[in-house]
Amino acid sequence: MTAAVFSTPMTPAPPVQTRGLWWSQTVAMSKRSVIAIVRQPALVIPSLIFPLFFAALGTSSFGRAINLPNFPKVDNFLDFSLAGSVVQGVLFGSVTGGAALATDIEQGFFDRLLATPTSRVSILVGRLAGAALFGAFQALFFILVLLPFGVRIAAGVPGVIIIVICGGLTGMAIGGFTAAMALKTGSSEAVQGSFPLLFIALFFSSAFFPRQTMQGAYKVIANINPVSHLVEGIRGLVTDGFTAGHVAAALLVPTAIGVVSITLAMRTLYSRLAS
Amino acid sequence: MISKQPPIVAHGLVRHFGTVKAVDGVDLEVHDGEIFGFLGPNGAGKSTVIRMLTTLLKPTSGSAQVAGFDVVTQANDVRRNIGVALQDAAIDPLMTGNELLHLQAVLYGLPVSQVKPRADELLERVGLIGAADRRVGTYSGGMRRRLDLALSLIHQPTVLFLDEPTTGLDPMSRITLWEEVRRLNNEGTTVLLTTQYLEEADQLADRVAIIDHGKIVKEGTPTELKAAVGAPTLLISVPATQALTARDVLARFGELRTTAEGSLGVGLAGGAGAVTDVVRALDEAGIKVQHLELNEPSLDDVFAESTGYRLEGASTAMSDAGGPAPNAKNGPRKGRRK
Repeated sequence: MTAAVFSTPMTPAPPVQTRGLWWSQTVAMSKRSVIAIVRQPALVIPSLIFPLFFAALGTSSFGRAINLPNFPKVDNFLDFSLAGSVVQGVLFGSVTGGAALATDIEQGFFDRLLATPTSRVSILVGRLAGAALFGAFQALFFILVLLPFGVRIAAGVPGVIIIVICGGLTGMAIGGFTAAMALKTGSSEAVQGSFPLLFIALFFSSAFFPRQTMQGAYKVIANINPVSHLVEGIRGLVTDGFTAGHVAAALLVPTAIGVVSITLAMRTLYSRLAS
Repeated sequence: MISKQPPIVAHGLVRHFGTVKAVDGVDLEVHDGEIFGFLGPNGAGKSTVIRMLTTLLKPTSGSAQVAGFDVVTQANDVRRNIGVALQDAAIDPLMTGNELLHLQAVLYGLPVSQVKPRADELLERVGLIGAADRRVGTYSGGMRRRLDLALSLIHQPTVLFLDEPTTGLDPMSRITLWEEVRRLNNEGTTVLLTTQYLEEADQLADRVAIIDHGKIVKEGTPTELKAAVGAPTLLISVPATQALTARDVLARFGELRTTAEGSLGVGLAGGAGAVTDVVRALDEAGIKVQHLELNEPSLDDVFAESTGYRLEGASTAMSDAGGPAPNAKNGPRKGRRK
């Protein structure tokens, strides 16, 4: 290898800014998480492809299910399944952010950050902001891809904007759980291992079928499953229109989940730092 | 405000991991403008000490001040004034050298206008201008270590911690890094480095502390430490069947010394002049000498005398002869290496 030539003397250190430092640190950390997503397409593409696959499969297999008694009134099954696709994609995409944080811990980049005067909250918020941006992108992606196949958003452009924001909030909310898991275990494998749990949460919800057609224990679980309420906020905007109730559901449910998950992630972060 | 006290001071630092005492009462004082070397094998506790001094780990007991600030109660002030390059802290392979320097600059709060000039200056300094826009994943080990050093210098720290800065590097990269460390030191930076390489400690450090089992067992300048060992070491290799006899012969000329496996060593009390007497005595005893060398005291001798085993190579002089080294405190132990 070629030896480096160290020839430049050091100039005096520039003054350090402290005003707005937290914000610039958080923006820089968010930028880094976005770079990680963009530069690892193999990790994120499945979370874009599989929901579309499920939507296509559902539409061709259960297209006529919309005529079942109690099935909510929709024009076609794809309108019904869009919300499920968005939530499914964002849920799976959120695992990537958590796993990336765990990899940082495993490989020592986390320590590198901790050795700097970076706000500890910035490290976490930067990661969650990356998850939020990716969630918003996923929501928009699913809408744009499914539009040519007949999806119609009853709430129009304002509805699309709310769905995209909901995707972002959901990305951050679920990212909070995967980040907490990363901070607790420091193992990317453990975070990846949460994948089946997300699948269970998704299947025991109204992501693929309406709660109105469910029965027994399955219905009880779906009724209390936050994922059902997450999906139905978006679904209302797609199938019913821009109403205060649907907007509130689309924004408040992920926000409520986010408050719980981010509180958990913060507590886990401080517990890790205290050791 | 940075006080006038030494840039690194530690009193009775202890760190437990469960029932394991990784660091067991370390007292340390590193003077302004000094290169201080922490020498020890893997697992001796040197990285744990560094992690406590750089605020990454809280001491179980004891205290430390770095750059005039307490590592526990004023951790953020410590972080603003130190540069840290940790051996086991990977650099994000997905980012380019330039992006990482920019990130680091923002994290340390450099004004936006200063970030690019500063990053460019450091990239030039460590010879990575040409690779600045390549992803770190494509860098060689030496390039990563140089980038690591550049990252640790972004805010021009007064105290620099380098954890095994050259482990795994080829000789050329190692020398280049040494030159840069010396240069930084000449510019006024106090450096604390850990190493498992004797030569590195000998070449770079103004003072060396030997750490073993979480304790500092010896401390001083390399010259002082080597002088304290005194007599030069005569090393010989003999057939395994003659090792016991050879050991008895050598013992007549001075204190037996810990050596790498397969050889025997003695500190020649009579100095280099006694070599001919030893050779004659070995010949008279019918011992066939396969190899013979005379070494001035090295840091490895200091290390062996302090710990009972050698950092370079392994084991003890008596591995062939069936007994522990004469000065072994903890019994024979293999030299541990990554």
